[in-house]
Amino acid sequence: MSGIVTYMKRDFLKWGRGKVAVISALVMPAAWLIFVGLALPVQFTGNYLDFITPGILVMTMLSAGLSGGALLMFDKILGFLNKFLALPTPRSSILVSKILFITGRGLIQTTIILVIALLIGATLLSPLQYGLTYFILFLFGVLISTFATTIALYLEDHDSYAAFNTMISMPLFFTSSALMPYSVMPAWLATIAHFNPLSYAIDAVRDVTVGGFPAVPIIVLLVLTGGLLAICTHVFRKVTV
Amino acid sequence: MNAIETTDLTRYYGVLCAVNHLTLSVNNEIFALLGPNGSGKTTTVLMLTTLLTPTEGSASVCGHDVMREGEMVRKSLSYVPQDMAVDIKLTGRENVRFFADLYGVPHAADRVDEALAVMELSDRADDLIRTYSGGMRRRLELAQALVHEPSVLFLDEPTIGLDVAARKRIWEHIRALRKKGMTIFVTTHYMDEADQFCDRVGIISRGQIAALGTPAELKARLMKDVITAKVEGMFALPDVDGIAFVGRNDDEVSFTVENGREALPLLADALKKSGCIVRSMSLREPTLDDVFLQAVGRQEEPHGFEFDKFRIMLRRRK
Ligand SMILES: Nc1ncnc2c1ncn2[C@@H]1O[C@H](COP(=O)(O)OP(=O)(O)OP(=O)(O)O)[C@@H](O)[C@H]1O
Ligand SMILES: [Mg+2]
Repeated sequence: MSGIVTYMKRDFLKWGRGKVAVISALVMPAAWLIFVGLALPVQFTGNYLDFITPGILVMTMLSAGLSGGALLMFDKILGFLNKFLALPTPRSSILVSKILFITGRGLIQTTIILVIALLIGATLLSPLQYGLTYFILFLFGVLISTFATTIALYLEDHDSYAAFNTMISMPLFFTSSALMPYSVMPAWLATIAHFNPLSYAIDAVRDVTVGGFPAVPIIVLLVLTGGLLAICTHVFRKVTV
Repeated sequence: MNAIETTDLTRYYGVLCAVNHLTLSVNNEIFALLGPNGSGKTTTVLMLTTLLTPTEGSASVCGHDVMREGEMVRKSLSYVPQDMAVDIKLTGRENVRFFADLYGVPHAADRVDEALAVMELSDRADDLIRTYSGGMRRRLELAQALVHEPSVLFLDEPTIGLDVAARKRIWEHIRALRKKGMTIFVTTHYMDEADQFCDRVGIISRGQIAALGTPAELKARLMKDVITAKVEGMFALPDVDGIAFVGRNDDEVSFTVENGREALPLLADALKKSGCIVRSMSLREPTLDDVFLQAVGRQEEPHGFEFDKFRIMLRRRK
């Protein structure tokens, strides 16, 4: 337990000391929201901002999670991982601390989006709705960061990680229900979007914001996250250089 | 129970045998694994610190098997890798405190101060590592490794890239740790350091131990004097009583003899007679370099022979 906290503290300290990184992490999602939410001329819904906000929230979590995998990549190529693996601290705490740091950082970003969305005209939700939204985003963040961190453990260098990141994030985003509802998608896109894990998270958040309780997507996310976490913890326990 | 025990420890990378049936025991001493680039030193350390699984054989640290009891092994050791890794955005104190917390040492703050003091970093402890010199970073890594007072300390080339004064300082620290009862396993390719500061050395070449013993013992295997001659042209081993060939390094050939002064002229004549030109000769006491030369001959980095790659190379030539 204490190992997880210690590893996390290191990542937060290091992140906090890079001013540019912090500012960009805070400005980028806001920029997305403002440009996409306010600038696109859309007819299929009355308040496009309310429609797009869940998509931007989940997308922010996705890119926070995927780019977070680079943390482990750098620890690996700079030789920190070697030192950590020789410590008596359980090796799984390396993984868990990265997941919590990446997801935590993502949640800070999504908070900014929620605040800005309100400022530029989104509907105010109830505390329970916000709680559920955070819960879904947290689950999704854990899912993505677990995946990204474990992939980073196996890829050779940062270039291949960056390539992996682009290869995954763009298609995932554009084939999800982030930008438009299934009803206005071309049929082929709607089919793909239904299988996209990103859509599960987006639909769940969207359902929450209109007052529903998305039991099925939450269960799917829970099962996916739990399963992946179990596999990846095992991988980290057994890892060698 | 020995601090480190290996039996037929072997590691292959593909077809390349990096460590070949290494059998060693190390206890309560400064043990240096001495060898040229690529001889398998780092690979050995990685296996002993549970970072790499041996292909064959077994090893134990403080009585715990490195494959089956990884966690127990890691509890009893500290490891400073060959490549430096300290967080440059953190201060010296934060870097050491981080490791103290990971090891879960009690009274962490005091232990951190102590470790920093031992490595003579107290006055710079609150500066960012960005502002540290290479030698200071190396000492900081040692401070990190020492906060938890391990029973076995693994140092992979602790003095690489440091100036003479810094190297000496680090070795003095290592000696002090040894006095406190720690077992220290270092790798190096500086013969003079091993000679001066280590209790026992193992010379490793192509993954195999070529010579093992205290520096004094190893040097005593040679005769009292060593003669080195710079030669040119064809060279045949002279057959003179009492002169033994040690090895050849480029244009330098070395011999060992009981009485150097008397052997010098005899050797010079013999060399000339064999048809080569002698440019210069020198007489000195044996060093570990000579032991090394005799034990392993000239060094080349090992290669695994991969037939497929070789075929591709041939095809490219065409
Ligand atoms: N990950 C790897 N994959 C393939 N071959 C490797 C790998 N690591 C090391 N080797 C090879 O194994 C051999 C031994 O390497 P090792 O790093 O143990 O040498 P070393 O004695 O530490 O050398 P140096 O003094 O240069 O640090 C070398 O020939 C090296 O090329
Ligand atoms: Mg090495």
